[in-house]
Amino acid sequence: MHIPDGFLSPQTYLPAWGVAALAWGWAARGLDRRLDETLVPRLAMLTALAYALGLIMLPLPGGTSGHALGVAALALLFGVRLAFLAYSGVLLLQALLFGAGGITALAINALALGLVGAAVAVGLHRLLARCGETAAVAIAAFVSLQVSALLVALVLGLQPTLARAPDGSPLFFPLGPEITVPAVLLPHLLIGIGEAALTVFVWRYARRKGWLGR
Amino acid sequence: MTRARAWLLGYVAAVLAASFVHAPLLLAGGLLGALLAAGPARWRLLKRALLAVLLFNAGVSLAYAVVAWWQARPLLDALLLINLRVLLLVFLGFWLVDRVRLLDALAGWPLLTTIATLALGQIGVYRRLLEDFRLAFRSRNALPPTPLAMLRHAGAQGGALLDKSLHDAEQAAQAMRSRGAFDG
Repeated sequence: MHIPDGFLSPQTYLPAWGVAALAWGWAARGLDRRLDETLVPRLAMLTALAYALGLIMLPLPGGTSGHALGVAALALLFGVRLAFLAYSGVLLLQALLFGAGGITALAINALALGLVGAAVAVGLHRLLARCGETAAVAIAAFVSLQVSALLVALVLGLQPTLARAPDGSPLFFPLGPEITVPAVLLPHLLIGIGEAALTVFVWRYARRKGWLGR
Repeated sequence: MTRARAWLLGYVAAVLAASFVHAPLLLAGGLLGALLAAGPARWRLLKRALLAVLLFNAGVSLAYAVVAWWQARPLLDALLLINLRVLLLVFLGFWLVDRVRLLDALAGWPLLTTIATLALGQIGVYRRLLEDFRLAFRSRNALPPTPLAMLRHAGAQGGALLDKSLHDAEQAAQAMRSRGAFDG
């Protein structure tokens, strides 16, 4: 559910770039010691999968798009920091190669989808560990997508309040949260089922390959 | 400063400037200037940009038109401003990628370059494999396939895609290892 370029006001995207720069610095710290010839191919494979998923988009009337993310799979297998970095790279590639998302929206998209989505997935997966592996993975993936979608909808919906002309007309994204929240969240309830199924599929693949170490 | 880096900085400056301009005429002038400067590639890039923004912007514009009509708010200027800005920003992005190699522009960020290199390689693998699978599936089905057949095909394709992708990425990582990419 990328926010496209040109819909966010500088009041939104400039502070977001500041926060994202700090978060990228935190995520990248000590990473060169973790990356080796075992981890890198797995990360590359799932990063490319996330990229491919992001291009199968369903435009939503609230001004964004709906699609599965693959963030939960990245987060559950590689942790929040690596998932955040990898998904930020995916967003950058999608923005520059396909015009999906964009450079002004990159920081908000990366924080909402890559960081918060990954953190929710990992946190919930740990919380639900007793519910059974498949249920924990599926619920974590489903909820992380909904939380990311809600954040994106709220940020978009705030734009008419944050940036408007003296006559009250919007300067950037023109619709308020009363439209963006249902328009983005309702389709994602369905997309979330796909995200959950995909994450369970990848999780089981990782288990078969012995990546999970248990 | 490399040519790619100069382009990247110029692009960022243009994007920032465009987001502080709220006059449709100025944005239209900016778009016209970018079109003139883009040379022979201008129409191809413009078509690509228009196709990329068409669905989203049509949806947003339509939704806002209904809201503005309902609440008796100004409509045309706002729609012109929003759509021109989005089109200009997307055009600038495509122009940048058309003029510089993405990996050259990212050269200052080694981690990002590594991930982008590997991911771009994997995207190529996915694209080729999906096409192979699609053609094989079509050749095996004289009649339109049933939903169950399509589901089975998708499952088999998904597993093969991950296997092939992992295999190729492992080869790339071994090549990087032999060139000292993971040496501390």
